[in-house]
Amino acid sequence: MMAGKQVFTLDLNGKEVEVLARPDATLLDLLRDDLALRAAKRGCNQGVCGACTVMIDDLPVRSCLTMAGACEGRKVQTLEGYVADPAMQALQKAMIASGGVQCGFCTGGVLMTARNLIAESPRPSGDEIRAALSGNLCRCTGYARIVEAVAKAAEEVAP
Amino acid sequence: MSFVVSPATLAEAVAFLAEHPDARPMSGGASLVAMKNARLIDASHFVSLARIPNLRGISRSDGNWLRIGGMTRHRDLASSDLLNGSHAVLRQAAGQIANRVVRNMGTIGGAVGNADPAADYLPALACLSAEVEITGTEGARRVAMTDYVTGWYETVLAPGDIVTAVHLPPADPGPAVWRKLARVPGDYATVSVACMRSGDRVQVAVGACGPGPIRSPDDEAALAGRLGDALAVAAFGEALAALADPVDDVRGSAAYRLRLIPRMVAAAIRDVTKGAG
Repeated sequence: MMAGKQVFTLDLNGKEVEVLARPDATLLDLLRDDLALRAAKRGCNQGVCGACTVMIDDLPVRSCLTMAGACEGRKVQTLEGYVADPAMQALQKAMIASGGVQCGFCTGGVLMTARNLIAESPRPSGDEIRAALSGNLCRCTGYARIVEAVAKAAEEVAP
Repeated sequence: MSFVVSPATLAEAVAFLAEHPDARPMSGGASLVAMKNARLIDASHFVSLARIPNLRGISRSDGNWLRIGGMTRHRDLASSDLLNGSHAVLRQAAGQIANRVVRNMGTIGGAVGNADPAADYLPALACLSAEVEITGTEGARRVAMTDYVTGWYETVLAPGDIVTAVHLPPADPGPAVWRKLARVPGDYATVSVACMRSGDRVQVAVGACGPGPIRSPDDEAALAGRLGDALAVAAFGEALAALADPVDDVRGSAAYRLRLIPRMVAAAIRDVTKGAG
């Protein structure tokens, strides 16, 4: 083992991955800098902006506020792990169709939060969508189209 | 460098913290890791409490008290069907912390341990006369929420102590209400008020207006039986404002907060007396 680094196994996007992490690395550091998974963005690094949102044990969390070393044995999924997920595809298509993607920096985090929302609350109201996305900042301020896209995708995939 | 260690038992966590004075216990990490990222703390280790059994969840204990494990997340409290009657104030407070993603991370033990003066649980717990369960090298002890905060970001916690649970006295039928005024939903409170009614009496705690939650049992006793008396309610709100020690910050000036307290207290008392005879 390399001095000063921690080796552990991560359940990442459905695969067991052996990782070597700096001891003070956050999950976001590990994903972006060591594993080249860059859908999760480093915005504020304070848990406020939501651009780094990933799923742990099927719930969205801030990867910038999660220590990599605390993820051993937990199920971690990034946006890259959702390429074949029909609900995520519906969200992505709706975001494009509605014009919900402008610079794109917030989009990955918005998609992760929205994916969880429509799983827990099919056909959410506009207010529910706005409340759910209140922790995902879009500095292009394209909120109306993002909310519209989530409502559209939710309608499409609702049972 | 903050190494993460994940002890399997509470005893191991306590022993590790005792041996490593620069280590810090970590629950959800929502505040602790943000402080690390901002370089406000430099811990040698983060002692994750995630693998320790019995720290998560809500259970009944002796005398119908409710024990809420320190690792219980805001998400779990916000949707709990065990928080009824007066305890609903805690459920309401949990549901207004930050946003749904942060509520998946943050825990009540972490929030109580961090003791941010504007944090939401502290006034809700003070209103309910809750007790904080603290575990350290000498074992577990319980401290009343109203005695827990000793100064700005200072508590009775000694180095190495872990907030392992909070204990709620048996629920009163209520009702209870949580009122939070914030610049936007999910922000820390500018002023918060937790209020429960028990018959012709109320218990009220004010948050974000001093180092810890403000409660005055003497003034509550003076208000007993006069909940519909607008002048008495106004005097009660003024009495709580007189005990406050707010600061000027980005969420509002101290003077603004002092004006808000009596109004929000009166509104909360109206909420819990609606329809009452």
